[in-house]
Amino acid sequence: MGKLIRTYLPFAANELKSQLAYRGAFYIWAFISLFGSFISYFLWMAIYGNSESGMIGGLSKNEMVVYIFMVYVTSSMVSIAISTWVGYDVVEGRVAMNLIKPIDYRASLIARALGNMIYRLLVPGIFIWIGLELYKVFVLGMAPVSVTTLLAYLLSVLMSFLIYVLFDFCFGMVAFFTTYIFGLRMAKSALLSFLTGQLIPISLFPLWAQEVFEFLPFSSMVYTPVMVYLGKYAGSELAWALGKQVIWVVLLYVLGSIIWKQVTKRLVVLGG
Amino acid sequence: MLHTIKRYWRLYRVLIAQFFKVVMQSKGDFLMGLLGFFLTQASGILFLYLIFEQIPSLNGWTLDQLIFIYGFAQIPRGIDHLLTDNIWLVAWRLVINGEFDRYMLRPMNVFFQVIAEKIQPDALGELLIGSILVIISASKGVVVFDFAHVALFVVSVLAGALIYTSIKLFFAALAFWLKQSGPFLQVAYEMADFAKYPTEIYNKGIRFLITWVIPFAFVAYLPASYFLGKGGAGVIGVECLIAIVFWCVAYGVFNYGLKGYESAGN
Amino acid sequence: MIEVKNVSKEFVSPKKYPGLKGAIKGLFSNEKVAKVAVDDISFSIAKGEIVGYIGSNGAGKSTTIKMMTGILTPTRGECLVDGINPSKSRKKNAQNIGVVFGQRTQLWWDLPLSESYTILKEIYDIPDDLYASQMEFLNNVLELRDFFDKPVRTLSLGQRMRADLGAALLHNPKVLYLDEPTIGLDLVVKDNIRKAIKEINEKYQTTVILTTHDIGDIEELCSRIIIIDEGKKIYDGTLDHLKDTYGSKRKVVMEVKNTEAVKALDLVGALHISEENSNEACFTAELDEAKNLFTITFDKHRLQAPQILSAVMEVTEVTDIKLQETELAEIVKEIYHHGTTTGTAEAGGGN
Repeated sequence: MGKLIRTYLPFAANELKSQLAYRGAFYIWAFISLFGSFISYFLWMAIYGNSESGMIGGLSKNEMVVYIFMVYVTSSMVSIAISTWVGYDVVEGRVAMNLIKPIDYRASLIARALGNMIYRLLVPGIFIWIGLELYKVFVLGMAPVSVTTLLAYLLSVLMSFLIYVLFDFCFGMVAFFTTYIFGLRMAKSALLSFLTGQLIPISLFPLWAQEVFEFLPFSSMVYTPVMVYLGKYAGSELAWALGKQVIWVVLLYVLGSIIWKQVTKRLVVLGG
Repeated sequence: MLHTIKRYWRLYRVLIAQFFKVVMQSKGDFLMGLLGFFLTQASGILFLYLIFEQIPSLNGWTLDQLIFIYGFAQIPRGIDHLLTDNIWLVAWRLVINGEFDRYMLRPMNVFFQVIAEKIQPDALGELLIGSILVIISASKGVVVFDFAHVALFVVSVLAGALIYTSIKLFFAALAFWLKQSGPFLQVAYEMADFAKYPTEIYNKGIRFLITWVIPFAFVAYLPASYFLGKGGAGVIGVECLIAIVFWCVAYGVFNYGLKGYESAGN
Repeated sequence: MIEVKNVSKEFVSPKKYPGLKGAIKGLFSNEKVAKVAVDDISFSIAKGEIVGYIGSNGAGKSTTIKMMTGILTPTRGECLVDGINPSKSRKKNAQNIGVVFGQRTQLWWDLPLSESYTILKEIYDIPDDLYASQMEFLNNVLELRDFFDKPVRTLSLGQRMRADLGAALLHNPKVLYLDEPTIGLDLVVKDNIRKAIKEINEKYQTTVILTTHDIGDIEELCSRIIIIDEGKKIYDGTLDHLKDTYGSKRKVVMEVKNTEAVKALDLVGALHISEENSNEACFTAELDEAKNLFTITFDKHRLQAPQILSAVMEVTEVTDIKLQETELAEIVKEIYHHGTTTGTAEAGGGN
């Protein structure tokens, strides 16, 4: 374990450093990614204003505010697009280079992603988060988040991160088979914004759709941790939600290994 | 003068023809890009559908009307996206890595060279879904349909595209000072998303911002409400005026920046 | 053809700090650093000249070229190319010049070379008959036919360089700027490129300015060279004059039997160098005891090799001997180190 950390920690540290060094993005990224949240916020406020019942999809108006901004905090930490890096590495022939080094390519990517996640937690995640908690308590008059809920949320986010990154690794491997990953990536993010609950709480979907989502990993990426944060899961429900996340981590890990083996075989045959 | 225009047009045709050859050679990529943009827009519509499961109308707007606004917004956006996508590269890459030099070495207008270098077929995804939505909602009778409205529709779409181009060009031109202005352009461009919905839902600050500062409301929601029979034709006039003013400012800033362009060599 | 008058260029950039802490500090600081890339340079180049513009990395070569092509505006001073100020009349100047940047292609990456040329024909507004005859000529000189229909991204570096050179010459420019035209190429291709440049220069009297690190380029092509260092011009003159002034040193390497005897040898006395004459510049000696090599670098105007050889042979047996002229590369290196403390910068042609 110690060796593992020693080997891969530099990847995480470097990533964090290079992100911090990139001055323009530092300010802008924080700002821009909030747009979607504010559009959602105003839209939802209008929707609640036009709705007869105070509850939509099992969420009250105040809970929806928390939902919208915690989706932002969560997904900005979780969705680290390592497939982009894989794409660059393929184009520049670095994947083949990585095969001859005594490190696991996927592990190095995940370590980098972790560095990125920490950066995203710092900028702007934590500020929005604190702002939201203050707004919640002083303006909306809700109770602050409890310590146990917070811990459960952090655990859930960590697994969401792994699920997303492991999934995106598989997706990135597609780069070996297509030259134009940009369109595919747009398609992916369009689908994900829906399936993960980023755009709209999954509880608003028709029941049949919700049942299908149960068998997909996507709701575990964003929806689950946010619902955990809102305290919507109690006792065994919470255990099941987290358990499901663990299952997806394992499944996607195995799937990624299988695909990686196929790809390296191809790489050795064709040269990369 | 006439000779110059002919020459530019001839060159543009050559470039476009080349470009389509390249696209045809990689049909898979083309379809993938189309699909990507198509799905992105479709998810926005699905969102509206799911919301209207919960409420009968949004601040007095029906689902069909909102779909028209949404679809209408895509058309000027798509036209601009199709024709001037290369402006993004100025903001992100060409200035900072010095590739912009090559435009300076040729005896032609620099802006023309920038946009002529690329046609973005992905934009057809936006144009396609925009047109489909406009046609569907028009067939449901939410749109006023007479000569004046149809003629102004065309005018409005073109003016809207010019507003898009001007905003992009303005922020891309900042790269001449900042070396890289991609993030700023991104921020400005994403503001367009606000204008896909009725601006009454926002607070005063945001409404002012998207109406008068980065005037995407004049590209989407405001003209769309005229076509929906709310408000007068004057809004199209204001849209055209804004398009012209913004274009002059953006093109002026671009040319001014060009003079001080410092190639990032070595 | 080209007049460069007291041209200077300064760049201003935000200050950067090292390390993680520095990165954070950099976010909040607004300090600026100014760097003088080109410092008061003047020269003029006549029609049909081939001029080598040389200097170490960051000396200001590319910056000067960019000012002459209209990409950069000088901070002070003025350039005139064929009577046109490039930064004021960019388009007019562009019609007169061709540019090749060695590391960067100006062609359309995804298009076949033939299509790139078709586009350039439109850009430079070349009439059909002129285009046909120019293509004929370029095809012969650069042998473009072999890869004329291949996409540019599939070309080898050598092919790409030929293609780029062809592209820069399509409109038969009066001035051709070449920035590292042979970088990364193998010897055969280098030779072809040099031949092509020569032929074009002879046929059209094209003025050529090239920057290079390859001394071969200069020896083969340039009648005149300009050397700059840290933004300042330090030499402008013919190649021969440069060699005469700075290349007067020769080197004799002897393999000797007895190094102890060599150590004991008083060369100054043995060579009869008079007191007032015995300064450093006369010769330097170096002894490699492990390999038994005794090297003497001397001024060819003041000493002769046989003199030295006989002096050494009086004390020990010499088993092998090698005599070397100083190479241009070494001369240039020396000039960088010492500037122009010896010799005159303004010698030779040029001004």
